[in-house]
Amino acid sequence: METVLSISNLTKHFGRIKAVNNLNLEVKAGQVFGMLGPNGSGKTTTLGMLMSVVNPTSGTYSWFGETPSHHVRKKIGAVLEHPIFYPYLNGQKNLELNCMIKQCDPASIPRVLELVELTERRNDKYRTYSLGMKQRLAIASALLNDPTVLILDEPTNGLDPMGIAEIRELIRKIAVQGKTIILASHLLDEVQKVCTHFAVLKKGSLIHTGPVDEVGKGTDTVEVNADVSNLNEILLSFAGTSSINRENGSFQVSLRDGFKSKDLNQFLFEKGIVASHLVTKKKSLEKQFLEILAES
Amino acid sequence: MLQLLKIDLKKLTSYRTFWVVCGLYFITLAFATASGMEFLKLLARTFADFGQKININRIPLYHFPDVWHNLIWFSGLFKVVLAIMVVISVTNEFAYRTLRQNIIDGLSRSQFLYSKISTNVLLSLMSVAMIFVIGLITGLIYSPSAAYSNILTDLEFFPAYFLEIFFFLSYALLISILIQRSGLTIILLLLSQMIELIITANIDDELPWLIPFFPMRSIWNLIAIPYPRYAFQEIKDYIDIGSALIVVAWTVLFNYFSYLKLKKADI
Repeated sequence: METVLSISNLTKHFGRIKAVNNLNLEVKAGQVFGMLGPNGSGKTTTLGMLMSVVNPTSGTYSWFGETPSHHVRKKIGAVLEHPIFYPYLNGQKNLELNCMIKQCDPASIPRVLELVELTERRNDKYRTYSLGMKQRLAIASALLNDPTVLILDEPTNGLDPMGIAEIRELIRKIAVQGKTIILASHLLDEVQKVCTHFAVLKKGSLIHTGPVDEVGKGTDTVEVNADVSNLNEILLSFAGTSSINRENGSFQVSLRDGFKSKDLNQFLFEKGIVASHLVTKKKSLEKQFLEILAES
Repeated sequence: MLQLLKIDLKKLTSYRTFWVVCGLYFITLAFATASGMEFLKLLARTFADFGQKININRIPLYHFPDVWHNLIWFSGLFKVVLAIMVVISVTNEFAYRTLRQNIIDGLSRSQFLYSKISTNVLLSLMSVAMIFVIGLITGLIYSPSAAYSNILTDLEFFPAYFLEIFFFLSYALLISILIQRSGLTIILLLLSQMIELIITANIDDELPWLIPFFPMRSIWNLIAIPYPRYAFQEIKDYIDIGSALIVVAWTVLFNYFSYLKLKKADI
């Protein structure tokens, strides 16, 4: 697969603070790449360097194998931190202005406005928009040039659940078109739902990178419930049990390697117990993320 | 370059403050420069002995070629209004963080600066055109003779006037980029002349040769005040290359410092 972005030894110091420390990363074409990390872990600083608004202390990066320049940036649609527009211009004029900067055809403005459902409000001043509309206008602006790469930094920050769902749906729609998306977020649920690959940053250092699919492999957790008073002891007597947690009235059984939920079910059946509830739980990205952070 | 000018004008032409400030500037400029004779009449009415000592109708305020130098020196006093507009336009880009978004969207840092400089050139050219038209009209009204030789004399004051305005707008651009906040920048802009006067007054005894090289002073030296000639005093009624070069050097430096600052900054 073609490499879209390659970062090598990228470093940024603000005084004594190491915002980004020796970062190495590759993003391939077609990936939806999630950048995870707690607040202040250097996600936005990294993206700022990739878009040339922050000067790196050392290290290099390249887009599409080219050295970075403003020509390359025109091929990338990016929203960093907050949506930024001229508050006294209306949505339409803001997009027209960005079209002039990106040197693209203004004919694409109605298309992107339609995509983010802002056509009706296009003649209203930007400052009258709600936060969700501002975010959507920012995504529309990023899509103006039909870019091959889209960078979104916390695109659902401060939105209500409906707004979050809308943005997530929009990201899916865009990803289906085969665009490479780099998504920085601290909302793990969001990353798990839309991303194919992810990287974890902590205090400016990369501590993990890999596909999202691999999350959840390894030990299984099974949630069990049955109408038996001594279920706890019975579960403990199962050979495949490594630990048991009681949560929300059900038992969370972590299984040893080689044991599946099927084995547990069979074991219960042999004991003459029929489970009223039995669910195999994949390990969530959240759990994995906390583990990765704890290990580092 | 034209594309960059269009980008900056796109930002400004939908901005009401821009129209208000520029409107005030050009209207004030037009009325103030065109009403010199009315002002002299007012003086004559107010001070009883003014009109008796001098016959105001014989003061050739608007006679070719005096009119060029007279109007240009006077309209130079208004340039601070235009400079405040530049400060607002540039500091807005920092306040709204749109400078950052412009770069992200694919403008280079130098292109951003060029777009602001090209607006400065345009505003300076508009001032020059304005004063030329007003000078021509008032000159034709008040001059006893409209001979071409008289009209075409002293036109070198126009390039000097352009330089004066463009120099000052470049200065406004630089301090806006350095300070980034509109209020503070406007205060510094208004106090610049005063601060420089305090400095030059203090080094007057030790380093008098240095004083013509100060930026604000270089403007006063470029276009000297013309009115004392009507009190039969000697004035500098020409543009000398030396003072013009000092102004050009400052203008280049201001824009170059703006470039350096923008190049290095994390935005």
